[in-house]
Amino acid sequence: MRNTVAIMQRELLSLFFSPIGYVVIAGFLLLTGVFVLVAEVFEPGKPATLRRVFDFTPYVLTIIIPAISMRLISEEYRSGTIETLMTAPLSDFQMVLGKYLAAVIFYAIMLAGTLVYLVVLAMYGQPDYGASFSSYLGLLLVGLAFVAFGTFTSSLSSNQVVAWIVGMIPLMLFVWFSSFIVGKTSGALRDIVQRVNVVRHLDQFNRGLVTTESLVFFLGMAAFFLFATVKVVESKRWR
Amino acid sequence: MIEVQDLTKLYGRVAAVSGISFDVAEGDIVGFLGPNGAGKTTTIRILTCYHPATSGEARIGGFDVFQQSMEVRRIVGYLPELTPLYPEMRPREYLRFRGKLRGLNRADCNAAIDRVAERCWITDMLDRPIGALSKGYKQRVGLADALLHNPRVLILDEPTVGLDPTQIRETRSLIRELAQDHTVMLSSHILPEVEATCQRIVIINKGHLVAAGTPDELRAQIAGDAETIVELKGAGGDLQAALEGLPGVSGVTTRPVGDWTLASVRAGGDPREQIFRLAGERGWALRELRRAGASLEDYFVKIVAQASNQARAE
Repeated sequence: MRNTVAIMQRELLSLFFSPIGYVVIAGFLLLTGVFVLVAEVFEPGKPATLRRVFDFTPYVLTIIIPAISMRLISEEYRSGTIETLMTAPLSDFQMVLGKYLAAVIFYAIMLAGTLVYLVVLAMYGQPDYGASFSSYLGLLLVGLAFVAFGTFTSSLSSNQVVAWIVGMIPLMLFVWFSSFIVGKTSGALRDIVQRVNVVRHLDQFNRGLVTTESLVFFLGMAAFFLFATVKVVESKRWR
Repeated sequence: MIEVQDLTKLYGRVAAVSGISFDVAEGDIVGFLGPNGAGKTTTIRILTCYHPATSGEARIGGFDVFQQSMEVRRIVGYLPELTPLYPEMRPREYLRFRGKLRGLNRADCNAAIDRVAERCWITDMLDRPIGALSKGYKQRVGLADALLHNPRVLILDEPTVGLDPTQIRETRSLIRELAQDHTVMLSSHILPEVEATCQRIVIINKGHLVAAGTPDELRAQIAGDAETIVELKGAGGDLQAALEGLPGVSGVTTRPVGDWTLASVRAGGDPREQIFRLAGERGWALRELRRAGASLEDYFVKIVAQASNQARAE
């Protein structure tokens, strides 16, 4: 546990030391700011909700989250510091978990930046706090799952940019084209595609609906890719 | 302290290390010597639990490096080749992080940082970013990290590569000092380096163990063609025959130097005393009698040359 915390603290320190961390946060806040403007959230007479902003957010996250997680493990390989970690008394799982948690915390801090819009809404209207809460819960769960996937792609390459792109493309496929893919399929296949449709799961959260199915989907995805990451890291020892 | 039995590591079909066995006693400084690509780093990485071996066994402090990896990692301090560090951190932060990984509590950790910083002369550099430090200081930060938890065994992979001559001398004396409390194993591809610091030498080449022992033992092993240089006057034509008549002598070459004669004697043992007595009995003047040095160096160079010839042939 102590080991995991030590790794997490060091990783957070590095995330906040590197310019990439700030570029990512600035990019995310800029884009969500533009959405707030485009969605005309603060126009008089509109419902006091951020729902339309939240509808856009997952599309941005497919690009932003791999950028947060890309350096987690690949940078250790590039600089050779992985050797000092893997010969220290901590398990590969503790190392991966510490790094993952650091990226999740970084993501949560970034997400918290958008709370300011909720505050503004609360000043001039009565936002639906329950629905807002479930939206944020949904985005947090997406973060847990996507960061785990990003950590996994980061373990595949010693090049950060490769890790970013390899992490980004499947997520974009999942999110950007999900409605298109669902529309093109039918029958049992359509059922399966709908179950892994991130946008559909998030839509439920935005409507204030927290289902076990969605919880299991996101947490299961996170657990699966963390497990896969540990296996990749372990397998690199043999090469 | 370190026991290695038939250690083999295959990368695909290529054997980086094949069937190496050696022991290191507690408190020894052992030099692990071999040309580049001999398998030094691979062996060290197996010992430090970074790579698993393909076959064979290695134990440190009685713990198996594969089965009891965590116990081994706790008692080993390791300085990897090229000293990988996080450039964005400061040495103090880095050492604190490493201390936490090692399970030291805050007070112990701070005390340990003060201790190793003083030992490795980095006290003034503790609060500068590692990325801004010179190669020599980075090396010392790595060494400080390896010493932080006061390990029973220190494993250093090429600890003096990239340092300037003054830093090399300082590092060597530091390593000798450390050997008072730790068992030290260091690797190098430079023989004088190992001869200057180590009590025992293990030479490997192309993944195979070539020789092991103290420098003197190694010299004795290869003394079959050791050379003794003699410079004499007044012997005339008898000299060559007289020297060849001595026990153990396998060959003599002579060459006149003015009035004197310079002879080079190849012998199995040490023929100097016999040559001195011979000169005394015959009444020859003797102005030089010495063993040609650097025979270990010759030996090592020969190994390296063989290795590169083989590589070229392949």
